[in-house]
Amino acid sequence: MAGSILITLALALSVFSMIMYYYTYRGAQNTLSLARMSYHAMAMLVIIASALLMYLIITHQYQYEYVYSYSNDDLPFGFLLSTFWAGQQGSFMLWLLVTALIGVFLQSYTGKRDDLEPRVMIFFTLATTFLLAMVSPLLKNPFAYIWSEPMFIETAKINPAYFSAPFMQNFMFSDPNSGQNFVKMSKELYSTLVEAGIPIGQFIIHGKGLNPLLQNFWMQIHPPILFTGFAMTTVPFAFAMAALLKNDYKDWVRQSFPWILAGSGILGLGIMLGGYWAYGVLGWGGYWAWDPVENASLVPWLISVAGIHTMLVQRKTQSQGGFGKFVKTNLLLSILAYVMVLYSTFLTRSGVLGDASVHSFVDPGAYVYLFLIIFVGTFLLLGVGMIAYRWKFLEAHVVSEENLLARELALFTAAVALGASALIVAVGTSAPIFKQSVETKFYNEMHVPLAIIIGLLNGFSLLLRWRASSGEDILKKSKYSLMATGIFALLLILFGKVYDIMMILLSLSSAFTFFVNAEIAYKIFKGNRKMLGAYVAHIGFALFLLGVVGSSAYSKQSEVDLTKGKPVNVLGHTLEFTGYTPIENNTKFEFNVSVKDGNSNPSIVKPVMFMSQFNNSLMREPDILEGFTKDFYISPLSYDDGSQAASKPKGNTVTLMPDEKTSIEGAQVTYADFIKPDMSVMMSGGNFQMGAKLIVTKNGKSETIEALMKKDGQGVIFVPVEVKDADLRVGLTKIDPTTKKADFVIGKLSASTEVFQPQEVLAINVSTKPFISLVWIGVAIAVSGFFISTLRRLKESWT
Amino acid sequence: MKNKYIFGGVIAVVFLGMMVYLFTKTNIQYESDFAKVMSSEHTIKATGSWVKEKSYEVNKENRTFAFIMKDAHGKEMEVIYSGIMPNNFESAQSIVVTGKYVNGKFQAKDILTKCPSKYQDKQSAAASS
Repeated sequence: MAGSILITLALALSVFSMIMYYYTYRGAQNTLSLARMSYHAMAMLVIIASALLMYLIITHQYQYEYVYSYSNDDLPFGFLLSTFWAGQQGSFMLWLLVTALIGVFLQSYTGKRDDLEPRVMIFFTLATTFLLAMVSPLLKNPFAYIWSEPMFIETAKINPAYFSAPFMQNFMFSDPNSGQNFVKMSKELYSTLVEAGIPIGQFIIHGKGLNPLLQNFWMQIHPPILFTGFAMTTVPFAFAMAALLKNDYKDWVRQSFPWILAGSGILGLGIMLGGYWAYGVLGWGGYWAWDPVENASLVPWLISVAGIHTMLVQRKTQSQGGFGKFVKTNLLLSILAYVMVLYSTFLTRSGVLGDASVHSFVDPGAYVYLFLIIFVGTFLLLGVGMIAYRWKFLEAHVVSEENLLARELALFTAAVALGASALIVAVGTSAPIFKQSVETKFYNEMHVPLAIIIGLLNGFSLLLRWRASSGEDILKKSKYSLMATGIFALLLILFGKVYDIMMILLSLSSAFTFFVNAEIAYKIFKGNRKMLGAYVAHIGFALFLLGVVGSSAYSKQSEVDLTKGKPVNVLGHTLEFTGYTPIENNTKFEFNVSVKDGNSNPSIVKPVMFMSQFNNSLMREPDILEGFTKDFYISPLSYDDGSQAASKPKGNTVTLMPDEKTSIEGAQVTYADFIKPDMSVMMSGGNFQMGAKLIVTKNGKSETIEALMKKDGQGVIFVPVEVKDADLRVGLTKIDPTTKKADFVIGKLSASTEVFQPQEVLAINVSTKPFISLVWIGVAIAVSGFFISTLRRLKESWT
Repeated sequence: MKNKYIFGGVIAVVFLGMMVYLFTKTNIQYESDFAKVMSSEHTIKATGSWVKEKSYEVNKENRTFAFIMKDAHGKEMEVIYSGIMPNNFESAQSIVVTGKYVNGKFQAKDILTKCPSKYQDKQSAAASS
């Protein structure tokens, strides 16, 4: 309740702050301090609400739907942190929190710069208003009580002391398919509990838990960083709108510059951390699958980076007087980056991509769907509308004369190439809305030529002078880089055995970029180091591209069965399965594989498999032997201890209903009676057994046996029965307690006694990833480049 | 000035042409009607659900995984997936398989299991009605 009140209050304050900023902009005298105070109060309330949500999660308050759905008592503190953003409500809350905090800094930044604050903050508070409305009690509120919508809760999550309560009968439901039992948690049950004086916190004593895929370090840091990146795109949007509002396009570029640089750096880091998580946890062997969720975060990044390049031109060309070049482009890209963040949110949160992604999307309901459309639509119309409104003025006042060999044009072309990439990704990702989809080949084949162009531009643009340069000048400057690239090409073909023409071109263009930037960076490093940013970022990008080529185009993979103790040769390595080790209180199992590369000492790689209580599934975690030149990636597929094959009843499967009989192996088997389970024990999730009473008749001799299914702490086991007189072995394999229909496997007893030596077999998927380390190193370097540039541009934002 | 627009226009047309061509070439349609899946020769993303009563079969030698799927009209189709059984196959509420219908069987090269976290609601609601 407290949380919902905090959010509602904050929403009111956000709206109030927006109105006060508007009046300040219109010239009112005493409204600015009110606007600031209400913004800060709003931010404070959001911080308190977030702290409250965290507190509710840590103290396991399962009366809140969100806490129940995404956490459990056995989660350590670190993973309870991940619960905060594991679900839709929480991740909106996180986004809101980061946005509100950024706004505090933005307010102080803009407050010191003339009349900038009200113009920027009107739009920024509009964004916080929408986010607050999103988590308000009307939409995706993380503070909603569990009974506000009727919800079916597994009986195992409920305190067993209350099963015997007479009122419980009205709220118990059973699912005949799975045999599971549920309690319907509704308003009625809540009021009944209140009447009976039972605190809800004592009634629901466990949560559903957290998806095991999210229980790792990367999922603790990836979402906060990614959402910070998303939130940061709000700022350039607000700056662009502020410039349009005043119809003055001179100062906004340098004021917005440090923000868009920092934002792109953070967003890029967030995206790639997600990629590293996919690589290290999901086990399919890659870091980028062109999955809608990944794509959705990539598009705003591409647009922002395109914007950085054209903004640089505008800033440089301002020295000739006027607003500078590419004003319209810059405004459009700044606006589009944020609108694409919102559009991405719509794609991934509204359920429209339901069938298209491995991420499970919950249909959030019609209101949320509609709200998301209004959210995107408002900002799109505002942005595009303002540009259209100012179009005539912009056309008249913005210069555009071009010299083909000038850095301006090269930067513009780079922005166009980045924009093209964004368009490709956006088109492919939006296809499922129209019941279409594209193979990943679509993205890959479109991007290879594009990446070659971007790589070449990246190198050449730095050799070009501003305004105009001569051909000789370029040739002279690129002398060393071209030579180095030539040597690299020879090495690549001779030793790397790279023969695919597109891959050679891509590697060459990346190498060229690398050498050009490295040469310049080296010169700068001896001089003014704060100018290094761009070159560092470009070097990182070049290394990243080389890593992509190596790890995707030259990855090899193979599926093998490893029998324990028998070494196998795979992809140039000798692998041997040496047995498994239980870890984490016997809940997970490490499968030890010794990997030997040539004559070196063997390394032990330990992929993990376990049964997850959360979704009743077998979870598989890969393990990687990491190296600079290549990663050796082992993903577990399955494990067979061999005992199943030895003890499994052999024979024919027969399905019988009670009183039905069948003739088999010379005997007659009658399903005489259903053995009922103890319903109350079954309800509470305790140990029980059920099965079938059978009469086996052979040569006039009858015997009554019980084929049983037992459930205990270990799981469900089926106990086969041997009938010596009839030479039969009868095993129950399936039984339905409602229809009493049962499946049996019936076979000759004498046939199943053959001796069987169990063999442990581990099936794995092995792959090599050449130079994947360059992908991570490249991104890390590129991101630091963004931050170095941010510092430089922050200083320049004053002048 | 004019040349600039012509040059840019040509590049834009080439680029868009390439994109449209590749889009149509790599395009896969979703289909929830198995009658249409069976009569098509194209690669399709067929959506439906697993027929639990008919179980599934894992072939260890060929590494295939076979099961029966049905669509909303109850039409059944045999699916053979070349790969191992996906993690949460048994608890999946719906399944999307990508592949072609050849010789009476759907040969899937990709399989996606959907387990919405709220599936329990629907499941038990169906159970109690």
